[in-house]
Amino acid sequence: MTLIHVPRPRQSALDPDRPINALLKAQIEQLHEAETALPLHLRTTIFVKAIKTEGEAANYIRAVTEAIHKAHADVKAQRGQRTGAKGKRVIEIAAIAAEEAERTRTNRARTNRARSKKTKSRAKAMRSRKNSAK
Amino acid sequence: MPAGLDKLRHFVVLMMENRSFDNMLGSLKAINPAIDGISDELSNPDTTGAIVKPQPLAEFQGQLIPDPDTHFAAVDLQIFSGNTHPNRRANMQGFVKSYFNRVRDVRHSQMIMYYFKRTDLPVLTTLALEFAVFNRWFASIPGPTVCNHSFAHYGTSFGSVGMSLLNVNESVKSTFERLTHERPGHSAKLYYYDMSSSVLGIMNLPRKEPRLFGTYERFLSDCETGTLPDYSFVSPNYSDHDSARGCEVASDQHPDHDVQAGEVFIASVYNAIKNSPLWPNTALLIVYDEHGGLYDHVVPPVCIPDQFAASVNDIGTGMPFVFDRLGVRVPAILVSPWIPKGTVVNRVFDHASIPATVTNFFLRDYAARSLRETSADVFIEPNVAPIDPTRNLLSLNVMRTDCPDFDV
Repeated sequence: MTLIHVPRPRQSALDPDRPINALLKAQIEQLHEAETALPLHLRTTIFVKAIKTEGEAANYIRAVTEAIHKAHADVKAQRGQRTGAKGKRVIEIAAIAAEEAERTRTNRARTNRARSKKTKSRAKAMRSRKNSAK
Repeated sequence: MPAGLDKLRHFVVLMMENRSFDNMLGSLKAINPAIDGISDELSNPDTTGAIVKPQPLAEFQGQLIPDPDTHFAAVDLQIFSGNTHPNRRANMQGFVKSYFNRVRDVRHSQMIMYYFKRTDLPVLTTLALEFAVFNRWFASIPGPTVCNHSFAHYGTSFGSVGMSLLNVNESVKSTFERLTHERPGHSAKLYYYDMSSSVLGIMNLPRKEPRLFGTYERFLSDCETGTLPDYSFVSPNYSDHDSARGCEVASDQHPDHDVQAGEVFIASVYNAIKNSPLWPNTALLIVYDEHGGLYDHVVPPVCIPDQFAASVNDIGTGMPFVFDRLGVRVPAILVSPWIPKGTVVNRVFDHASIPATVTNFFLRDYAARSLRETSADVFIEPNVAPIDPTRNLLSLNVMRTDCPDFDV
Protein backbone atom coordinates (compact mmCIF):
# COMPACT_ATOMS: atom_id res chain seq x y z
CA MET A 1 0.00 0.00 0.00
CA THR A 2 1.27 3.42 -0.93
CA LEU A 3 1.84 5.83 1.96
CA ILE A 4 1.53 9.39 0.76
CA HIS A 5 2.90 12.27 2.75
CA VAL A 6 0.51 15.18 3.27
CA PRO A 7 2.21 18.48 4.10
CA ARG A 8 0.70 20.53 6.92
CA PRO A 9 -0.32 24.14 6.28
CA ARG A 10 2.11 26.85 7.31
CA GLN A 11 1.66 28.65 10.65
CA SER A 12 0.81 31.80 8.72
CA ALA A 13 -2.28 30.06 7.29
CA LEU A 14 -4.09 30.76 10.56
CA ASP A 15 -5.62 34.22 10.73
CA PRO A 16 -8.68 34.67 12.97
CA ASP A 17 -8.55 38.38 12.08
CA ARG A 18 -9.20 37.61 8.41
CA PRO A 19 -12.30 39.46 7.17
CA ILE A 20 -15.33 37.21 6.93
CA ASN A 21 -16.21 35.80 3.52
CA ALA A 22 -19.63 35.49 1.90
CA LEU A 23 -20.16 32.02 3.36
CA LEU A 24 -19.61 33.18 6.94
CA LYS A 25 -21.76 36.27 6.37
CA ALA A 26 -24.63 34.03 5.27
CA GLN A 27 -24.09 31.70 8.21
CA ILE A 28 -24.20 34.62 10.67
CA GLU A 29 -27.42 35.94 9.12
CA GLN A 30 -29.07 32.55 9.27
CA LEU A 31 -28.01 31.87 12.82
CA HIS A 32 -29.20 35.33 13.81
CA GLU A 33 -32.60 34.41 12.41
CA ALA A 34 -32.51 31.20 14.45
CA GLU A 35 -31.46 33.15 17.54
CA THR A 36 -34.58 35.32 17.41
CA ALA A 37 -36.68 32.20 17.97
CA LEU A 38 -34.82 31.24 21.12
CA PRO A 39 -36.07 32.04 24.63
CA LEU A 40 -34.77 35.42 25.79
CA HIS A 41 -32.48 34.00 28.44
CA LEU A 42 -30.62 31.91 25.84
CA ARG A 43 -29.98 34.71 23.32
CA THR A 44 -26.53 36.20 23.01
CA THR A 45 -25.70 39.85 23.57
CA ILE A 46 -23.56 39.93 20.43
CA PHE A 47 -24.33 42.68 17.91
CA VAL A 48 -24.11 40.76 14.64
CA LYS A 49 -23.63 43.85 12.47
CA ALA A 50 -20.33 44.45 14.26
CA ILE A 51 -18.89 41.04 13.35
CA LYS A 52 -16.03 41.63 10.93
CA THR A 53 -13.49 38.85 11.41
CA GLU A 54 -13.49 35.05 11.29
CA GLY A 55 -12.64 34.82 14.99
CA GLU A 56 -15.61 37.03 15.89
CA ALA A 57 -17.84 35.04 13.57
CA ALA A 58 -16.72 31.76 15.16
CA ASN A 59 -17.51 33.08 18.65
CA TYR A 60 -21.01 34.08 17.60
CA ILE A 61 -21.67 30.86 15.71
CA ARG A 62 -20.58 28.78 18.68
CA ALA A 63 -22.72 30.78 21.11
CA VAL A 64 -25.91 30.40 19.06
CA THR A 65 -25.30 26.76 18.16
CA GLU A 66 -24.80 25.92 21.83
CA ALA A 67 -27.92 27.92 22.71
CA ILE A 68 -30.02 25.98 20.20
CA HIS A 69 -28.85 22.70 21.68
CA LYS A 70 -29.51 24.02 25.20
CA ALA A 71 -33.03 25.11 24.26
CA HIS A 72 -33.85 21.65 23.02
CA ALA A 73 -32.29 20.04 26.08
CA ASP A 74 -34.33 22.28 28.38
CA VAL A 75 -37.58 21.38 26.67
CA LYS A 76 -36.75 17.70 26.80
CA ALA A 77 -36.03 17.96 30.51
CA GLN A 78 -39.33 19.75 31.14
CA ARG A 79 -41.15 17.14 29.12
CA GLY A 80 -39.59 14.46 31.27
CA GLN A 81 -40.76 16.18 34.45
CA ARG A 82 -44.33 16.50 33.15
CA THR A 83 -44.36 12.86 32.14
CA GLY A 84 -43.05 11.91 35.59
CA ALA A 85 -45.76 13.97 37.38
CA LYS A 86 -48.40 12.70 35.01
CA GLY A 87 -47.24 9.16 35.56
CA LYS A 88 -47.57 9.54 39.35
CA ARG A 89 -51.10 10.91 38.96
CA VAL A 90 -52.03 8.00 36.73
CA ILE A 91 -50.76 5.59 39.33
CA GLU A 92 -52.80 7.33 42.05
CA ILE A 93 -55.93 7.20 39.96
CA ALA A 94 -55.38 3.54 39.22
CA ALA A 95 -54.89 2.81 42.90
CA ILE A 96 -58.08 4.58 43.87
CA ALA A 97 -60.01 2.77 41.14
CA ALA A 98 -58.64 -0.53 42.32
CA GLU A 99 -59.71 0.22 45.87
CA GLU A 100 -63.19 1.14 44.74
CA ALA A 101 -63.46 -2.00 42.67
CA GLU A 102 -62.39 -4.05 45.66
CA ARG A 103 -64.97 -2.31 47.86
CA THR A 104 -67.67 -2.98 45.31
CA ARG A 105 -66.74 -6.62 45.08
CA THR A 106 -66.70 -6.94 48.84
CA ASN A 107 -70.07 -5.22 49.21
CA ARG A 108 -71.58 -7.31 46.47
CA ALA A 109 -70.28 -10.46 48.03
CA ARG A 110 -71.62 -9.39 51.40
CA THR A 111 -74.96 -8.57 49.87
CA ASN A 112 -75.08 -11.83 48.03
CA ARG A 113 -74.21 -13.70 51.21
CA ALA A 114 -76.88 -11.83 53.09
CA ARG A 115 -79.43 -12.43 50.36
CA SER A 116 -78.53 -16.04 50.25
CA LYS A 117 -78.93 -16.33 54.04
CA LYS A 118 -82.36 -14.65 53.88
CA THR A 119 -83.44 -16.87 51.05
CA LYS A 120 -82.33 -19.96 52.89
CA SER A 121 -84.06 -19.03 56.10
CA ARG A 122 -87.29 -18.17 54.24
CA ALA A 123 -87.15 -21.50 52.46
CA LYS A 124 -86.57 -23.26 55.77
CA ALA A 125 -89.51 -21.45 57.33
CA MET A 126 -91.81 -22.45 54.45
CA ARG A 127 -90.76 -26.07 54.69
CA SER A 128 -91.42 -26.00 58.39
CA ARG A 129 -94.93 -24.58 57.91
CA LYS A 130 -95.66 -27.23 55.28
CA ASN A 131 -94.50 -29.97 57.54
CA SER A 132 -96.62 -28.62 60.37
CA ALA A 133 -99.67 -28.49 58.10
CA LYS A 134 -99.25 -32.16 57.30
CA MET B 1 -25.49 -9.09 -7.20
CA PRO B 2 -22.01 -7.49 -7.44
CA ALA B 3 -20.17 -7.95 -4.16
CA GLY B 4 -19.52 -4.23 -3.64
CA LEU B 5 -23.19 -3.32 -3.93
CA ASP B 6 -24.25 -6.32 -1.89
CA LYS B 7 -22.02 -5.25 0.98
CA LEU B 8 -22.78 -1.53 0.80
CA ARG B 9 -24.38 -0.23 3.98
CA HIS B 10 -23.06 3.32 4.52
CA PHE B 11 -22.86 6.47 2.43
CA VAL B 12 -20.59 9.32 3.48
CA VAL B 13 -20.62 12.67 1.67
CA LEU B 14 -17.88 15.23 2.30
CA MET B 15 -18.73 18.61 0.79
CA MET B 16 -15.88 21.08 0.37
CA GLU B 17 -16.19 24.68 -0.75
CA ASN B 18 -15.84 26.91 -3.80
CA ARG B 19 -13.35 25.31 -6.18
CA SER B 20 -13.81 24.42 -9.83
CA PHE B 21 -12.84 21.15 -11.50
CA ASP B 22 -10.14 22.75 -13.64
CA ASN B 23 -8.71 24.64 -10.66
CA MET B 24 -8.21 21.47 -8.59
CA LEU B 25 -8.09 18.53 -11.00
CA GLY B 26 -7.35 20.17 -14.35
CA SER B 27 -3.70 19.08 -14.17
CA LEU B 28 -4.71 15.41 -14.32
CA LYS B 29 -5.44 15.46 -18.04
CA ALA B 30 -1.69 15.24 -18.54
CA ILE B 31 -1.64 12.01 -16.48
CA ASN B 32 -4.85 10.47 -17.81
CA PRO B 33 -6.19 11.96 -21.07
CA ALA B 34 -9.66 10.58 -20.24
CA ILE B 35 -9.92 13.19 -17.47
CA ASP B 36 -11.37 16.33 -19.04
CA GLY B 37 -8.95 18.89 -17.62
CA ILE B 38 -6.71 21.65 -18.87
CA SER B 39 -5.50 21.70 -22.45
CA ASP B 40 -3.53 24.22 -24.49
CA GLU B 41 -6.36 25.79 -26.45
CA LEU B 42 -8.28 27.05 -23.42
CA SER B 43 -8.35 30.77 -22.57
CA ASN B 44 -10.37 33.76 -21.41
CA PRO B 45 -10.07 37.41 -22.45
CA ASP B 46 -9.26 39.96 -19.80
CA THR B 47 -10.78 43.45 -19.68
CA THR B 48 -8.16 44.82 -22.08
CA GLY B 49 -8.97 42.10 -24.62
CA ALA B 50 -5.72 40.22 -24.01
CA ILE B 51 -5.90 36.42 -24.07
CA VAL B 52 -5.25 34.78 -20.69
CA LYS B 53 -4.48 31.07 -20.62
CA PRO B 54 -4.85 28.73 -17.61
CA GLN B 55 -1.52 28.32 -15.83
CA PRO B 56 -0.39 25.96 -13.04
CA LEU B 57 0.42 28.88 -10.75
CA ALA B 58 -2.31 28.56 -8.13
CA GLU B 59 -1.04 29.07 -4.57
CA PHE B 60 -2.51 27.67 -1.40
CA GLN B 61 -3.44 31.09 -0.08
CA GLY B 62 -3.08 34.79 -0.76
CA GLN B 63 -4.11 35.15 -4.41
CA LEU B 64 -7.90 35.30 -4.23
CA ILE B 65 -8.44 38.30 -1.95
CA PRO B 66 -11.21 39.31 -2.10
CA ASP B 67 -12.88 35.99 -2.79
CA PRO B 68 -14.54 35.81 -6.22
CA ASP B 69 -18.20 36.66 -6.60
CA THR B 70 -20.51 33.67 -7.04
CA HIS B 71 -23.89 35.35 -6.85
CA PHE B 72 -26.19 34.43 -9.68
CA ALA B 73 -25.52 37.51 -11.81
CA ALA B 74 -21.74 37.10 -11.49
CA VAL B 75 -21.86 33.42 -12.49
CA ASP B 76 -24.09 34.35 -15.40
CA LEU B 77 -21.34 36.70 -16.58
CA GLN B 78 -18.73 33.95 -16.13
CA ILE B 79 -20.76 31.47 -18.22
CA PHE B 80 -22.20 33.80 -20.89
CA SER B 81 -19.52 36.51 -20.92
CA GLY B 82 -22.09 39.29 -20.64
CA ASN B 83 -24.37 38.14 -23.46
CA THR B 84 -27.98 38.76 -22.44
CA HIS B 85 -29.65 37.87 -25.72
CA PRO B 86 -32.58 35.46 -25.26
CA ASN B 87 -30.98 32.89 -27.62
CA ARG B 88 -27.48 33.27 -26.21
CA ARG B 89 -25.03 30.39 -26.01
CA ALA B 90 -22.75 29.69 -23.07
CA ASN B 91 -19.03 30.08 -23.86
CA MET B 92 -17.28 30.13 -20.42
CA GLN B 93 -15.42 33.31 -21.42
CA GLY B 94 -16.39 35.68 -18.61
CA PHE B 95 -14.32 34.51 -15.63
CA VAL B 96 -11.54 37.09 -15.84
CA LYS B 97 -14.04 39.90 -16.52
CA SER B 98 -16.13 38.82 -13.53
CA TYR B 99 -13.14 38.76 -11.16
CA PHE B 100 -12.00 42.14 -12.47
CA ASN B 101 -15.32 43.54 -11.20
CA ARG B 102 -14.18 42.46 -7.71
CA VAL B 103 -10.52 43.43 -7.74
CA ARG B 104 -10.36 46.29 -10.28
CA ASP B 105 -6.83 45.21 -11.25
CA VAL B 106 -6.05 43.56 -14.59
CA ARG B 107 -3.08 41.48 -13.40
CA HIS B 108 -4.91 40.32 -10.30
CA SER B 109 -8.02 39.39 -12.28
CA GLN B 110 -6.00 36.99 -14.44
CA MET B 111 -5.26 34.82 -11.39
CA ILE B 112 -8.77 33.40 -11.66
CA MET B 113 -7.35 31.23 -14.49
CA TYR B 114 -4.64 29.64 -12.32
CA TYR B 115 -4.86 25.95 -11.41
CA PHE B 116 -2.98 23.64 -9.04
CA LYS B 117 -0.16 21.34 -10.08
CA ARG B 118 -0.79 17.72 -9.28
CA THR B 119 2.02 17.71 -6.72
CA ASP B 120 0.36 20.57 -4.83
CA LEU B 121 -2.69 18.41 -4.06
CA PRO B 122 -1.38 14.93 -3.27
CA VAL B 123 -4.59 13.87 -1.52
CA LEU B 124 -7.27 15.00 -3.96
CA THR B 125 -5.33 14.04 -7.08
CA THR B 126 -4.37 10.63 -5.69
CA LEU B 127 -7.97 9.86 -4.81
CA ALA B 128 -9.11 11.02 -8.27
CA LEU B 129 -6.60 8.73 -9.97
CA GLU B 130 -7.09 5.76 -7.62
CA PHE B 131 -10.91 5.67 -7.51
CA ALA B 132 -13.72 7.21 -9.61
CA VAL B 133 -13.52 10.81 -10.82
CA PHE B 134 -16.56 12.46 -12.37
CA ASN B 135 -15.89 14.46 -15.54
CA ARG B 136 -19.39 15.94 -15.49
CA TRP B 137 -20.44 16.74 -11.90
CA PHE B 138 -21.86 20.27 -11.84
CA ALA B 139 -23.13 22.58 -9.13
CA SER B 140 -26.92 22.36 -9.10
CA ILE B 141 -27.44 26.00 -9.94
CA PRO B 142 -25.16 28.68 -11.39
CA GLY B 143 -25.07 30.50 -8.08
CA PRO B 144 -23.69 30.54 -4.57
CA THR B 145 -23.20 28.18 -1.67
CA VAL B 146 -26.47 28.09 0.27
CA CYS B 147 -28.76 27.12 -2.59
CA ASN B 148 -26.29 24.53 -3.82
CA HIS B 149 -26.08 23.01 -0.35
CA SER B 150 -29.85 22.91 -0.37
CA PHE B 151 -29.86 20.74 -3.50
CA ALA B 152 -27.48 18.35 -1.75
CA HIS B 153 -29.90 17.95 1.18
CA TYR B 154 -33.36 18.42 -0.36
CA GLY B 155 -32.91 17.97 -4.11
CA THR B 156 -34.11 21.55 -4.54
CA SER B 157 -33.46 25.06 -3.26
CA PHE B 158 -37.18 25.92 -3.10
CA GLY B 159 -36.75 28.70 -5.63
CA SER B 160 -33.74 30.31 -3.97
CA VAL B 161 -30.73 31.43 -5.99
CA GLY B 162 -29.07 33.38 -3.19
CA MET B 163 -27.53 33.08 0.24
CA SER B 164 -30.60 33.82 2.35
CA LEU B 165 -32.26 31.40 4.73
CA LEU B 166 -34.22 28.85 2.76
CA ASN B 167 -37.96 29.06 2.51
CA VAL B 168 -38.31 25.32 3.09
CA ASN B 169 -41.47 23.84 1.69
CA GLU B 170 -42.68 21.00 3.88
CA SER B 171 -43.70 18.94 0.84
CA VAL B 172 -40.01 18.10 0.27
CA LYS B 173 -38.01 16.67 3.16
CA SER B 174 -34.27 16.50 3.58
CA THR B 175 -32.48 13.19 3.20
CA PHE B 176 -31.97 13.16 6.97
CA GLU B 177 -35.68 13.47 7.65
CA ARG B 178 -36.62 10.89 5.05
CA LEU B 179 -34.36 8.27 6.55
CA THR B 180 -35.15 8.91 10.20
CA HIS B 181 -38.72 10.24 10.24
CA GLU B 182 -40.66 9.62 7.08
CA ARG B 183 -39.57 6.00 6.81
CA PRO B 184 -38.05 5.12 10.19
CA GLY B 185 -35.67 2.24 10.29
CA HIS B 186 -32.66 4.07 8.93
CA SER B 187 -30.17 6.49 10.40
CA ALA B 188 -28.56 9.72 9.25
CA LYS B 189 -26.34 12.40 10.69
CA LEU B 190 -24.72 15.66 9.68
CA TYR B 191 -21.31 15.96 11.25
CA TYR B 192 -20.18 19.58 11.46
CA TYR B 193 -16.60 20.37 12.38
CA ASP B 194 -17.28 21.92 15.79
CA MET B 195 -19.70 24.33 17.48
CA SER B 196 -17.77 27.33 16.16
CA SER B 197 -18.12 26.08 12.58
CA SER B 198 -21.63 24.64 12.91
CA VAL B 199 -23.99 23.96 10.01
CA LEU B 200 -24.66 25.90 6.85
CA GLY B 201 -27.76 26.43 4.84
CA ILE B 202 -30.15 24.06 6.61
CA MET B 203 -30.72 26.06 9.75
CA ASN B 204 -34.28 24.79 10.07
CA LEU B 205 -32.99 21.31 10.88
CA PRO B 206 -30.91 22.02 14.01
CA ARG B 207 -33.78 24.21 15.21
CA LYS B 208 -36.14 21.23 15.02
CA GLU B 209 -33.97 18.11 15.09
CA PRO B 210 -30.71 18.57 16.98
CA ARG B 211 -30.32 14.81 17.32
CA LEU B 212 -29.49 14.65 13.60
CA PHE B 213 -26.23 16.50 14.24
CA GLY B 214 -22.84 15.64 15.66
CA THR B 215 -19.30 17.00 15.60
CA TYR B 216 -16.34 15.81 13.57
CA GLU B 217 -14.87 14.29 16.72
CA ARG B 218 -17.97 12.16 16.93
CA PHE B 219 -17.57 11.16 13.25
CA LEU B 220 -14.04 9.92 13.93
CA SER B 221 -15.27 7.99 16.95
CA ASP B 222 -18.20 6.50 15.01
CA CYS B 223 -15.80 5.36 12.27
CA GLU B 224 -13.54 3.74 14.84
CA THR B 225 -16.34 1.93 16.62
CA GLY B 226 -18.11 0.92 13.43
CA THR B 227 -21.26 2.85 14.34
CA LEU B 228 -21.62 5.22 11.43
CA PRO B 229 -25.24 5.87 10.43
CA ASP B 230 -26.55 4.74 7.06
CA TYR B 231 -26.01 8.25 5.69
CA SER B 232 -23.43 10.77 6.89
CA PHE B 233 -22.80 14.27 5.63
CA VAL B 234 -19.49 15.76 6.77
CA SER B 235 -18.73 19.48 6.77
CA PRO B 236 -15.23 20.93 7.04
CA ASN B 237 -14.21 23.80 9.29
CA TYR B 238 -15.51 27.09 7.87
CA SER B 239 -13.32 29.51 9.84
CA ASP B 240 -10.00 30.10 11.59
CA HIS B 241 -10.76 30.11 15.29
CA ASP B 242 -9.64 29.11 18.74
CA SER B 243 -10.94 25.99 20.40
CA ALA B 244 -10.29 23.91 23.50
CA ARG B 245 -7.85 21.91 21.35
CA GLY B 246 -5.91 25.00 20.30
CA CYS B 247 -6.05 26.91 17.02
CA GLU B 248 -8.27 25.50 14.30
CA VAL B 249 -7.37 26.35 10.72
CA ALA B 250 -10.26 26.56 8.26
CA SER B 251 -10.28 23.42 6.12
CA ASP B 252 -13.08 24.09 3.62
CA GLN B 253 -10.72 25.40 0.87
CA HIS B 254 -13.04 28.37 0.31
CA PRO B 255 -10.88 31.25 -0.95
CA ASP B 256 -8.84 32.57 0.77
CA HIS B 257 -8.56 29.70 3.26
CA ASP B 258 -5.44 27.56 3.01
CA VAL B 259 -5.92 24.79 0.47
CA GLN B 260 -3.36 22.55 2.21
CA ALA B 261 -5.49 22.57 5.36
CA GLY B 262 -8.31 21.17 3.24
CA GLU B 263 -6.01 18.46 1.89
CA VAL B 264 -5.22 17.42 5.48
CA PHE B 265 -8.94 17.31 6.28
CA ILE B 266 -9.84 15.23 3.24
CA ALA B 267 -7.04 12.81 4.10
CA SER B 268 -8.31 12.63 7.68
CA VAL B 269 -11.84 11.72 6.55
CA TYR B 270 -10.52 9.13 4.10
CA ASN B 271 -8.16 7.58 6.68
CA ALA B 272 -10.92 7.40 9.29
CA ILE B 273 -13.15 5.42 6.93
CA LYS B 274 -10.36 3.28 5.50
CA ASN B 275 -9.18 2.28 8.96
CA SER B 276 -12.73 1.62 10.15
CA PRO B 277 -14.27 -1.87 10.29
CA LEU B 278 -16.87 -0.35 7.90
CA TRP B 279 -14.42 0.24 5.02
CA PRO B 280 -15.74 -2.70 2.95
CA ASN B 281 -19.31 -1.43 3.44
CA THR B 282 -18.90 2.30 2.82
CA ALA B 283 -18.85 4.62 -0.18
CA LEU B 284 -17.35 8.09 0.29
CA LEU B 285 -18.28 10.92 -2.09
CA ILE B 286 -15.96 13.96 -2.00
CA VAL B 287 -17.59 16.88 -3.81
CA TYR B 288 -17.46 20.67 -3.89
CA ASP B 289 -20.59 22.77 -3.50
CA GLU B 290 -19.81 25.29 -6.24
CA HIS B 291 -16.93 26.50 -8.37
CA GLY B 292 -16.12 29.60 -6.33
CA GLY B 293 -15.88 31.86 -9.38
CA LEU B 294 -12.80 29.96 -10.56
CA TYR B 295 -12.31 29.05 -14.20
CA ASP B 296 -13.70 25.90 -15.72
CA HIS B 297 -14.00 25.20 -19.43
CA VAL B 298 -17.00 22.86 -19.60
CA VAL B 299 -20.33 24.46 -20.46
CA PRO B 300 -22.98 23.54 -17.86
CA PRO B 301 -25.80 21.62 -19.54
CA VAL B 302 -29.49 22.42 -19.44
CA CYS B 303 -31.65 20.21 -17.28
CA ILE B 304 -35.27 19.47 -16.35
CA PRO B 305 -36.69 22.60 -14.67
CA ASP B 306 -37.59 22.44 -10.99
CA GLN B 307 -41.16 22.99 -9.81
CA PHE B 308 -40.01 26.16 -8.01
CA ALA B 309 -39.16 29.41 -9.84
CA ALA B 310 -36.73 32.08 -8.74
CA SER B 311 -37.73 35.63 -7.94
CA VAL B 312 -36.59 38.06 -10.63
CA ASN B 313 -35.29 40.39 -7.91
CA ASP B 314 -33.04 37.66 -6.51
CA ILE B 315 -31.62 36.71 -9.90
CA GLY B 316 -30.17 40.14 -10.64
CA THR B 317 -29.89 39.64 -14.40
CA GLY B 318 -33.33 40.86 -15.43
CA MET B 319 -34.02 37.47 -17.01
CA PRO B 320 -36.16 34.69 -15.54
CA PHE B 321 -34.61 31.46 -14.25
CA VAL B 322 -36.52 28.23 -13.79
CA PHE B 323 -33.63 26.05 -12.60
CA ASP B 324 -33.21 24.60 -16.06
CA ARG B 325 -29.45 24.99 -16.26
CA LEU B 326 -26.81 23.48 -13.99
CA GLY B 327 -23.99 25.41 -12.38
CA VAL B 328 -20.28 25.29 -13.19
CA ARG B 329 -18.40 21.99 -12.97
CA VAL B 330 -16.90 20.99 -9.62
CA PRO B 331 -14.50 18.24 -8.48
CA ALA B 332 -16.29 15.04 -7.47
CA ILE B 333 -14.68 11.73 -6.52
CA LEU B 334 -16.25 8.48 -5.34
CA VAL B 335 -14.12 6.31 -3.06
CA SER B 336 -14.67 2.64 -2.30
CA PRO B 337 -12.44 -0.43 -2.21
CA TRP B 338 -14.78 -1.97 -4.83
CA ILE B 339 -14.06 0.66 -7.51
CA PRO B 340 -11.43 -0.16 -10.13
CA LYS B 341 -8.40 2.10 -10.18
CA GLY B 342 -8.57 4.87 -12.76
CA THR B 343 -12.35 4.94 -13.21
CA VAL B 344 -13.56 8.02 -15.10
CA VAL B 345 -17.31 8.72 -15.22
CA ASN B 346 -18.79 10.80 -18.03
CA ARG B 347 -22.49 10.81 -17.13
CA VAL B 348 -23.96 14.11 -15.91
CA PHE B 349 -24.57 14.63 -12.20
CA ASP B 350 -25.37 17.51 -9.88
CA HIS B 351 -25.99 17.76 -6.14
CA ALA B 352 -29.59 16.56 -6.50
CA SER B 353 -27.95 13.23 -7.34
CA ILE B 354 -27.01 12.91 -3.67
CA PRO B 355 -30.54 12.69 -2.19
CA ALA B 356 -31.60 10.80 -5.32
CA THR B 357 -28.92 8.13 -4.84
CA VAL B 358 -29.29 7.75 -1.07
CA THR B 359 -33.09 7.70 -1.19
CA ASN B 360 -33.24 5.23 -4.08
CA PHE B 361 -30.79 2.94 -2.30
CA PHE B 362 -32.43 2.88 1.13
CA LEU B 363 -36.07 3.79 0.49
CA ARG B 364 -36.70 2.58 -3.07
CA ASP B 365 -40.13 3.98 -3.97
CA TYR B 366 -40.15 7.15 -1.84
CA ALA B 367 -42.18 9.63 -3.89
CA ALA B 368 -42.14 13.10 -2.31
CA ARG B 369 -39.25 14.58 -4.27
CA SER B 370 -38.57 17.63 -6.42
CA LEU B 371 -38.64 17.44 -10.19
CA ARG B 372 -34.91 18.08 -10.26
CA GLU B 373 -34.20 15.17 -7.95
CA THR B 374 -36.53 12.86 -9.80
CA SER B 375 -34.63 13.56 -13.03
CA ALA B 376 -31.11 13.45 -11.49
CA ASP B 377 -28.85 10.50 -12.23
CA VAL B 378 -27.65 8.30 -9.36
CA PHE B 379 -23.99 7.54 -8.75
CA ILE B 380 -24.61 4.22 -6.99
CA GLU B 381 -27.21 1.80 -8.28
CA PRO B 382 -29.85 0.52 -5.86
CA ASN B 383 -28.89 -3.04 -4.90
CA VAL B 384 -31.82 -4.58 -6.70
CA ALA B 385 -31.25 -7.06 -9.51
CA PRO B 386 -30.71 -6.78 -12.38
CA ILE B 387 -27.78 -4.38 -12.07
CA ASP B 388 -26.65 -2.60 -15.22
CA PRO B 389 -22.89 -3.35 -15.35
CA THR B 390 -22.24 -0.24 -17.44
CA ARG B 391 -23.60 1.95 -14.63
CA ASN B 392 -22.31 0.14 -11.56
CA LEU B 393 -19.12 1.80 -10.27
CA LEU B 394 -18.62 -0.70 -7.43
CA SER B 395 -17.83 -3.36 -10.00
CA LEU B 396 -14.88 -5.33 -8.61
CA ASN B 397 -15.54 -8.93 -7.55
CA VAL B 398 -12.74 -8.83 -5.04
CA MET B 399 -12.10 -5.96 -2.66
CA ARG B 400 -8.92 -3.99 -3.36
CA THR B 401 -6.02 -4.24 -0.96
CA ASP B 402 -3.86 -1.66 -2.72
CA CYS B 403 -5.73 1.51 -1.69
CA PRO B 404 -3.44 4.38 -0.68
CA ASP B 405 -2.82 5.60 2.84
CA PHE B 406 -2.15 9.19 3.77
CA ASP B 407 0.43 10.19 6.32
CA VAL B 408 -1.45 12.98 8.10
